[in-house]
Parts: sequence; structure tokens; C-alpha cells
Amino acid sequence: MTATIEIERNPATNTKCAQRTIIANGNEAVARAIVDIGYDGEGYYPITPSSEAGEVVSKAFAAGETDLAFVVGTSELAAIGICAGMAVAGGRAVDVTSANGLLLKIEELPAIAGLGLPMVLNLSTRDVSAPLNIKNGHTDLYATLGLGWIILMAPNVQAAYDMNIIAIKIAEAVNLPAIVAYDGFHTSHANRRFDVFADREDVRRFVGPPPFCGTLEGKNGRFSFLDVNHPRTFGPYMNDDLINSKVQLDLKFEKAYQLLPGIFDEYAGLTGRRYGFVEQYGDRSARHCLVGLNTIGEAARDAVDRLAAQDRATNLVIPTVLRPWPEQEIVDAIGSAGRIVVAERASQYGANNYLANEIGAALQRRGNAATILQRTCGVGGLTITLDDALAFYELADRWPNFDDTDARRVKWYHGAWPGDPNYNPPQTIQPIAASACQYNGNGDGAASKVDLRVLSNMPTRFDKHAACPGCGIFTNLNLFLRGIDGHVCLLFNTGCGMVVTTGYPLTSFKVPYFHNLFHNACSTATGVVEMIKRFKTRGDLPEDITVIAVTGDGGDDIGMDQLVGCALRDDPFIMLEYDNKGYMNTGGQLCYSGFKGQINSNAHYGSQQRGKTRHHKDIIEILRGATPSYLATASEAHPADMIRKARKAQAVTRGGGFAFVKVISVCPLNWGMTEHGGVETVEAIVNACMHPLLEIERGITRITVDPEKKGKKVGVGEAFKLMGSAYRPLCESKNADLLAEIQAEVDHRWARLKAMAESQVL
Amino acid sequence: MTTATREIPTPLPADSPVLAMRDELGMCNILLSALGGDGANMAAKLMFKVACTRWNLDGGYDARYGSEKKGTATDVSVRFCSVGTPVRQSGPTTNPHVLAVFHQSLIEPLQLWRGLRRGALCIVNSHHSPDVVRERMRLHSGTVVCVDATRIAAECGSRLNMPMAAVLCHQLGFPDHVFRNAIAKQWPNAAERNLGAFDRAIGEATRATFADDGRFAIEAGVVTRGPLGWRNMLNGGTIDALTHSTVGRDNRIAAGGRVPEFHAESCSNCGICLTVCSDPGGLLWREGRMTGIDDRFCKGCMRCVEACPETKKGHALTVPLGISE
Ligand SMILES: Cc1ncc(C[n+]2csc(CCOP(=O)(O)OP(=O)(O)O)c2C)c(N)n1
Ligand code: SF4
Ligand code: SF4
Ligand code: SF4
Repeated sequence: MTATIEIERNPATNTKCAQRTIIANGNEAVARAIVDIGYDGEGYYPITPSSEAGEVVSKAFAAGETDLAFVVGTSELAAIGICAGMAVAGGRAVDVTSANGLLLKIEELPAIAGLGLPMVLNLSTRDVSAPLNIKNGHTDLYATLGLGWIILMAPNVQAAYDMNIIAIKIAEAVNLPAIVAYDGFHTSHANRRFDVFADREDVRRFVGPPPFCGTLEGKNGRFSFLDVNHPRTFGPYMNDDLINSKVQLDLKFEKAYQLLPGIFDEYAGLTGRRYGFVEQYGDRSARHCLVGLNTIGEAARDAVDRLAAQDRATNLVIPTVLRPWPEQEIVDAIGSAGRIVVAERASQYGANNYLANEIGAALQRRGNAATILQRTCGVGGLTITLDDALAFYELADRWPNFDDTDARRVKWYHGAWPGDPNYNPPQTIQPIAASACQYNGNGDGAASKVDLRVLSNMPTRFDKHAACPGCGIFTNLNLFLRGIDGHVCLLFNTGCGMVVTTGYPLTSFKVPYFHNLFHNACSTATGVVEMIKRFKTRGDLPEDITVIAVTGDGGDDIGMDQLVGCALRDDPFIMLEYDNKGYMNTGGQLCYSGFKGQINSNAHYGSQQRGKTRHHKDIIEILRGATPSYLATASEAHPADMIRKARKAQAVTRGGGFAFVKVISVCPLNWGMTEHGGVETVEAIVNACMHPLLEIERGITRITVDPEKKGKKVGVGEAFKLMGSAYRPLCESKNADLLAEIQAEVDHRWARLKAMAESQVL
Repeated sequence: MTTATREIPTPLPADSPVLAMRDELGMCNILLSALGGDGANMAAKLMFKVACTRWNLDGGYDARYGSEKKGTATDVSVRFCSVGTPVRQSGPTTNPHVLAVFHQSLIEPLQLWRGLRRGALCIVNSHHSPDVVRERMRLHSGTVVCVDATRIAAECGSRLNMPMAAVLCHQLGFPDHVFRNAIAKQWPNAAERNLGAFDRAIGEATRATFADDGRFAIEAGVVTRGPLGWRNMLNGGTIDALTHSTVGRDNRIAAGGRVPEFHAESCSNCGICLTVCSDPGGLLWREGRMTGIDDRFCKGCMRCVEACPETKKGHALTVPLGISE
């Protein structure tokens, strides 16, 4: 690979490339563009509503339709770091994300821009908040405004496809990364009829091979890290010179602003589909104008038509490029309106809104004194439809003549409601007294006999949730909690467990509960137990409280570093991991804990791949090196064993140490297994030594249930048979080699575990 | 990943309701109300794609995806229009012309009559007659088509989406053979079972049309606005567990009426069922004794039946016979 070559550019043709009409949703449109462009690699991490865009690409990879390197990271930050590596090596890289994922990777965004690495990040927009919401909002999008990325907006499914192809071209022309933002759910999940290039090669001709071209004045071009014959240092430490790098960034945006019209023209020539900096609809000379991004703008077109039919002229402006900020084009599109409603799917709390501010400043610089009214709308599950758009034009018309003082505000919320002042619901449950939770013997905790019948009197700390029938999360958690006496505070990572228990405004929890983020329930728990210690020392907290953080196995992928930190510090709380071998809440994507050969929504079978490609993560062995006080595994098929371990874990935390317990948890929905078969399946998994029941107390390993000694050991195939359709290929003779490989790995780990259990030093 | 529009499209039969029922934007709006796991999404997507390609329709398919688990209410909106009509709205339909109800138990909790248009076409999974269902649906005017889809699906070994999609497509005036072929192609391994259910559903559906007799009014679509708003929501969206517990919620639709039968005389109160239960709220355990199943929260998974040591001896817990819906 050589660096700094001026690539040969396609002569712009006016010949239309053949197009084909397809029906697909926005995520599939993005995936299609990714495959058509022929990227070298994709760094990936699932998050709703963008997950499917990666799943479709991974499926195309398995089927041999694309040869790109598809790498699932441990987090979104990892995924985009992988992209940065691909880009600096000279590859063409792409990523997809949403919401929290975007914010987690945000540190890398200015770095990639500053390094001048072109790549494309697809953002299926979603609100970022607590309380958690997975629906639409532009909080994520607005967080990227000042990070040095080109931002193209895709108001509909067609544009999601087209803008991807345009994005990589402009990105590489100026050596800047580019975001393509399409609305989560409203576009990502909307199936529409749209056109794509019939021949992939036409797309590839349009984007050309990655150009290592000069950016400014033919210099300052992109280089390859792999050019060992001409070594260069990428990403040096820079002091006062940094300001010059900022100037370069800005000049690149100027250049992008100059080049984009030509690229839009060229694209229009090839496809007949014309894009620009902004889409203007309706009457430029109208008194009232609505500005809205993406699907707000799309929905409002019908309102403009409706009002035009009533002889009311209105104007509508849909910005389609946010960076570079096309100030002149936006001002021109707004035309002579004296009242402008800027409807945004986000709010800049305590300040005027993002787009409203930028438009206001643009108008002011041109001596235009139009009034701007700001409405935050369409966040969370709320949609923006024709009727909402009509309400915005009504607002422009009537403001400020409303009885409601809130409606008279310049900045307010459309679709919010104040609530019923007389609402005073009755108390329906009693707090659980610590004295009601003493079924664990007389203080000797772990040692006392486990009597399930007696333990059935332990009050449930939660119940009445909305998980799938037969889900293992709550059978495990409920059983474990019966081994825990006294007061409990629960913290949950994001995942099925939290989603199905706390749908606002109701909660399934009868004890204090906190959901913070996907990856940091453990760090949050550390903060909580530190305060418990402090308040106790002060004498302010008489109660004895056991803190339990609950996570899926996915939470311990993305939060692995924080988990290791808690183990290293030996923080006094219990971490309970329910291992269901996938990111189930987001649709069954692969977790590192999944078995090799397992089908996941982003790991398929095809000519190029057979499901998950590597063996299951052993989190216990990862944590062993951190030497926490207590590590254990448990199963709902072995209730007495689990209760004993719960008691031990509680005793350990009372003694000031960290306890980690991992339970195996069936997912009937994504494993494709029976709803009633959970216990039998888990028992088979334990008997196959795929989830050995063990505990490690201060470094000493003990196998607590030994299927081999009991003569119950079975092959891994026996377990896979019960585990459902996600594991079915492993039961097919054509994949016998895979099964043998898994068997060998499981046997090896089991043999090593036995050796450790027999030794006082291992 | 996609369906190519390669076939030469033919015009849709002129008597199709899809052509007759159009809103101001030129759309025929169809809503499917179902539970996670019914396959409503898949069936509707297939219907949308096939109809668009075959009869040169345009429109949109918008599912209410989220974190819906199996057994939680979900809906799918399909809109059809002529090619050339702009498709700009997204999200769920609030004023359907056509409503397909996958479980009649959803009618009341979701107030499915709300937002229905005058002269709506309702396809309801029910063993009752259209007259009975019309009352339940509080239908202002229109047509009710009943099909005992749960039974047909169970007896033919298909999912619920097959009999429902069959009747829906048939009532929309889509020629049967087109969807029979599409279904056979999409799910080749289950073709026989699916097509069996498809044909039976069309044959057994009963239909009646109701004029506007003044019995029920047209009601506006549902806007979800709870009693808690920005004035009285607790700091940071916190929930007061003592007053806002799920204990009072009725989750009966999730199990679809499939709840185990409990026979106290055979029970030894061993506590095993409580240990394996999908939801500790599903079993009524009182003072050390198993006293029954709470059908408002049992998920119908039958884990307890599987685990009960007395089942073999005296049938302390058994799977209910028949299909209650
Ligand atoms: C930073 C971040 N990335 C991704 C997500 C999306 N997300 C939410 S839950 C989840 C999967 C959870 O998997 P796991 O921990 O195994 O729990 P399960 O869903 O299986 O219960 C993902 C990927 C998120 N909320 N935040
Ligand atoms: S998707 Fe799986 S893990 Fe999630 S609630 Fe359903 S069964 Fe449980
Ligand atoms: S498992 Fe059977 S015998 Fe034991 S308590 Fe439950 S119903 Fe009674
Ligand atoms: S059927 Fe499932 S949810 Fe219902 S009581 Fe039995 S185990 Fe619990």
C-alpha cells in the first residue's frame, strides 16, 4: 500500500446509472449502502434503534456478499476505536450507533476529526436520558455539533441510503469524518419503497478507491500508518501549535462547503435524486415558516400542502446539512417569513435550543429580525405528524394570543402535559421489614440448613414483571434473593431485567432500586456502599443494608473494566450476573460469553461464517486475577447450592469484601427454546460442565457440584439439544467439527478447574 | 434483505377495500394489534412487500418496536396508497380503516375502538359471532369478520399470524393464491401447516356488516397522558414503590388464558413451584402454603407443572385442556 497518491477520479458522467426499486427499512437501507460502497471494515456495537443496520451487514458477510472486516467491540468506544485503526491503516471504515452509544464513543470523535481520518458514522437518532428511553430524540445528534464531523441529515429511508454514499465521498475529499443522521424508529424501522443502484459497481465507481489526496492547497493529505518505507508519527503530543490544527479543521469545512454542491450534482446526474444543503418546501414568500429536521420536516410537508389547499401559503425548511453550516442557504430558504417556528427533538435546558440559536444568529447577521418560536417536540415515544405540524403553523399565526401562559412562551414543549393536580393514589404495598426476611438460620448464614419450604416465606423483593414466559432472569434472581436476609438495595444495569420491571409509572420492586447506565451498576454500587460506610460511621444509618448490583452478561462485556475495578478494590457488595449468552434486550446480538457456533442476530451461518466465531468468555477466570473475596457460579437447577452461595456472598460483603456470583439464565425467546424447559436445560448445561458450579474463596477454588463424580456428566451436544434453535446448527452432523472443538475447550477448562480445586496453591 | 420489484405489477382488483378506503392523504390505514411473539410483524411485512410489488401500491410499514417481550402488547401499522402519492408520515396509525385484533382480550385494555373510522373493517380472532364482537368492539359502523384463529393455529400447528393474515389479506381483496405462494416461499419448512391454517381461516371466517344505528359513537384516537405530568412527576422521574407498584396491574393478556390448574388436595407444599416460577407473583403462596395461581400475573410458561413432584402422583399442577381465549 502506498500513501499520498492522487487517485484517479471518475470523470463526472451525466449518464444515469440503472436503479432498482426495493422495499426495506432505514436500517436496511444503510446496510445496503455499506455493502454497496464496499467498505474495508465496520466496528460494531449494538444499540437500539441502530442495531439492525449492523446485523444486516453481518448477515451479508456470513453469506459471502461482502468481505469487509466486521468486528464487534466490547463497547461503542471500542467499536469506533477499531474504526480509527482501520482508517489510519488506510482502510475505509464505517460504524452505526445511537444515543448512549454515541455518547460513549464521543471521546473518539474529536480525535478522529483532528487526525483527519475520513470515515462514516451512521447515527440512528435516539434520545439520551434518565429515566431511560429508547425512542426518538436528537440529544445524541446535537452532542456532535462541535466535534469536527461533517453532518448530513437523512429525512427518509431513501435519503438514508443516498446520504451514506454521498457522505463517504465528501469525507474522503476533505479528510474529515462524516455522520449520517436518520431518525430512530421513524426512519430506521420504517419500511418504504425506494431506489438503489442496480449495480454495486456504479456506486464503487462514484466513490472511487480511498483517495490519499491533499486536503488544503493540495497538501496536508492523508497518509497510511502502514507505510513502513516512509514512517510517520500520527497523533503527536501538541502544545501551542494546536490552534493551527483547529484552523485546518475549519478550512476543511470551508472546502467541504465548496465541494458538496458538485457532489450533489454528480449524484443527481447518476441517480436522478437531488440533494442539497437544505430542502425548502412551500412558499418562500410566506409569512410563516417551520424549520424541522428529518421526519419532522417530512411530516410537515403534508401540512404545507393542506394549508395551500386552503389558500394559506406557508414555508417549510428542512436542513439536510448541519456541518458545514449552510448559513446562506438556510437564510435564503426561510425567505421573507416574519414568524419562524423551529421544532426540535431536543432541548437545550436553561438556554435557547440548538437549531433555533443557529438560525437566530444567522438571521441576525443578515439584519433579518424575524421572530423565532421554539418548540421541543417528538421526544421519547411521541411522534410528529401532520396534525402536530398544523399546530406549529397555528402557533406561528396566533402567537402570543393564547390564554395559556405556557403557550405564550417563546420556548416551550409541544406534547408535554402538567398532570392531574388531584391525583393522589392509595398505598398498595407495605415496605418490607428486615424482621420479615430472617429465614436464614440464626446468624450462621451459609452454614444453616437450606429448607426451601421455610424459605418460601421470604417476602419477594420484586414480582409482577413483564418478562417473557419462562425467562430465567427472575427465577434466578428470586431464588438468590431468598438466600439474602434483611434489607436489600438493588442496582441494575440496562438489559431485559430492568426494562421489564420498571415501566413508568409502575415498578415491580418493593425494595429500593436504581438503574443508572448499561455498564456501571457496579461502580454505582461502589459509590453507594462507600456512603453506607460513611453514614454508619457517623451514626446516621442504623439499618444493615446489603447492596446487590444485577447485570446481564452483556453488562459485563461493556462494563468489564469497571467490574474488575470493583473486584480489585474488593468493594463490599454483591454483583450478580445473569448469563443468558447474548444482548437479549436489544434483540439477541452476540456477547463474548456466548458459545462458539451459537447463532446471534449479528453472527450467522453462511459460506463465510458459522455463527459466533470464538469460545465463551470465562468471567470467573478473568476476575480471579483481581483477587476479590468471593467468586461463585450458581444455577437454578441447584437451589440449595445457590442459596448457600447467596448466604456466603452476603456474609462476605458484611465482612467488607466483594462477592461476584454468575448464574446461567435461559432466554426462551432468543434461544428459541420451550418456555417450560428452563430447569432441565440449565441442569444439562451444568452436567455438561459448560457452567461448572464452583466457588473461589480468597483464592481457594472449590467445585460445589461435580457432575463427573455423580456420574451425570454429559457431552455438550446434550445441552445444546435442549438449548433451542440458536444452538441447532451445533447439533447437525455437518458441524460436527465445531461441536468437537467446543467439547475439547469445555473439557480443557474443566480439567484445569479440577486441578485448581485439588490444589491449595493454584 | 429486500424484495426486488421485478415482476410486472398488475392492477389490484377493483373491489378491494384498499382502493375504496382512503384518508385525506390518500392512504388506506391498517392496524394490527397483537402480542409480542404472535408473528404480527413478520406477517404484516410480508403482506406489505407483496402487495406493493404485485399491485404496484406504495405506502409504509411502521411497527411499534421497542423492548417488547413475548406476551406484551404491540402493534403494526401498514398504509397503502397509489404510487405517486407522497408517503411522508411515519409511526403508528391512530385512525385505522382496517383493524386486525390478534387477541380479543386486547380490545378493552387498549380501547381498540378508539380512533376507528366510520365503516371500518375489523378482523377479530374470536370464536364468537360478529354480532357479539361488534358489541365488544363498540363499533360505530362497518364490518366485523370473526375467525377462531387461536384454535385454527393450534390445530394446524401454525403461528397465530397465519390465520389472521389469511383473513386480513382475503378481506382486503388480495387474491388468495398470491399470499399462499408468498407464504410457502417465505417459510418453506412450515408451508403445509401454514397453508392449512390459511385455507381453514378463510373458509371458517364469519362476517357481518353493521350500519350506523346510533349505538356507538366515533371516538377520537387514544392519547396516552397519565395523571403524572411535569408538575407532579417526582424528582428525576422517580417512582414511589408504595403507591405505584405493579401488584395491582392485570397482566392476564400475556398468558392468553393458559394458566395451570392447581389441585390443593394433591399438593405437599414443597415450595418447588415457587422456586421455578417465571414470576414470583404468579403463584399465591400464603403462610407456608401453596394456595393457587394468580392468573393476573401467571405467564403461562408451565415451568411449575414441569417441576412439581406431585404432578405425576396426584396432579397438583396440570396444564389446562382446551384453548380459552
Ligand atoms: C452505552 C450503551 N450501549 C448500548 C446500549 C444498548 N443496550 C441496552 S441493553 C443491551 C444489552 C444488554 O445485554 P445483557 O447485559 O446481556 O442483558 P440482557 O439484555 O441479556 O438482559 C444493550 C446492547 C446501551 N443502553 N448503552
Ligand atoms: S428476551 Fe430473553 S432474557 Fe429478555 S425477557 Fe425475554 S426471555 Fe428473558
Ligand atoms: S411444586 Fe407441586 S407439590 Fe410442591 S408446592 Fe408446588 S404445587 Fe405443591
Ligand atoms: S405457569 Fe409459569 S408463571 Fe404461571 S405459575 Fe407456573 S411457573 Fe409461574
